[in-house]
Amino acid sequence: MGHPLRVVALVSSLLAVSVPLLAHHGAASFDTSGAMVTVKGTVTEYIWTNPHVLIKVDVKDATGNVTNWVVEVWNPVTQANRGWTKTTFKPGDEISVDVTAAKNNRPIGMIRGNIVINGKPFKEIGG
Amino acid sequence: MSKCVAVAIVTAVAAGMLSPVAHAQDEKWNNLAPPLSTYKNKKPGGPAPRREIAGIWDTGWIGGSGNPEHPATLAGGRAGAVGGQEDETGIANPLPYTAKGLEALKANKPSNGVRQVDFALTNDPATICDPLGFPYMFTWEMRTINVTQSPTQVVMINPFYGGYRIIWTDGRTLPKDPDLRWNGYSVGRWTDDYTFVVETTGLNPRSWLDHAGRPHSEQLRVEETYHRVDRDTVELTMKITDPVMYTEPWLAMNKFLLHLMPPDFDIRENFCSPTENKSYNDDYGNAAIQNPSK
Repeated sequence: MGHPLRVVALVSSLLAVSVPLLAHHGAASFDTSGAMVTVKGTVTEYIWTNPHVLIKVDVKDATGNVTNWVVEVWNPVTQANRGWTKTTFKPGDEISVDVTAAKNNRPIGMIRGNIVINGKPFKEIGG
Repeated sequence: MSKCVAVAIVTAVAAGMLSPVAHAQDEKWNNLAPPLSTYKNKKPGGPAPRREIAGIWDTGWIGGSGNPEHPATLAGGRAGAVGGQEDETGIANPLPYTAKGLEALKANKPSNGVRQVDFALTNDPATICDPLGFPYMFTWEMRTINVTQSPTQVVMINPFYGGYRIIWTDGRTLPKDPDLRWNGYSVGRWTDDYTFVVETTGLNPRSWLDHAGRPHSEQLRVEETYHRVDRDTVELTMKITDPVMYTEPWLAMNKFLLHLMPPDFDIRENFCSPTENKSYNDDYGNAAIQNPSK
């Protein structure tokens, strides 16, 4: 069964380079095959708190139905080291992010990269 | 470009490599430690001061599954991130569990490593914002700590989960039958001018040893050796002894590097908030459970 949102495109079935998994919690609930989906839509909320930073995104499918995705990264301290701030995203921003999606087909995912905010690629720092 | 200007630029760039990231505003607050890669070619920082461990120390460590010497992941790979195993068969550096230790391990349901369960289903005390306690506060995400020192004690503040430790150096001995404490009872002594050894007992077994659910009993004894290699560097080795859970002592950290930050470095807050955790699970964690009917 595919994901409920057809607008979410499968961008990579098997990545040549593995992506790091969250250290705060693991990925038991998520597709660890390397497959990723692109979540593209409008930010409705940006939650800059522990245990993990969340971004809520309204994603519209081909028929106009809207689903609110929730995507996560690490905690604010780790994200700050990567160049994120409390204002990196704001409601109304048009964004695109690649995520590892939940196995249960809920509209949630762990952000892996390829972050685009209002048409501009967002480059993380650190390493 | 004149030679002296070029030298000044090179010097400034080199100095910046070990400086926290500066911001245009509020640069005195919420400083960011340099990335781990900065330390790969780190040069010796000059002679170490005698019998001195005070300072702001950063590790560049942002955690993992298990502890630095015994990650709970399969050798070489992503498979360890999938989880679902009952025990730790196949991990790269297995631990010497007793029968009771293995039973206790299986009762702990971590959210990381080969035994991980869905985040919302873990019984990790950290997930409900219990105190991490010691040594969990170091084995999981020992990032940046603030260490002060007086003639009678060394105080370590670890902003991750608001952890702190009091290490007495006034010559007292460890208590023989203490009330158990999350952070235990610690005494320290200098075995030479550059080596500080800390013994800790009386640790509350409600805490885990690490983020992979490694258990400990009331008989846990932790020995830390802080070896100051030079002015800017300390090597931390942590030995775990718990005959109830493990057949022999083992190292959770082995010459784990701590790097000295500037004296005005302001560490970011990093608490665990029960209300924030609830909101996170409402928004995300509970939705990730693979089979909500179970």
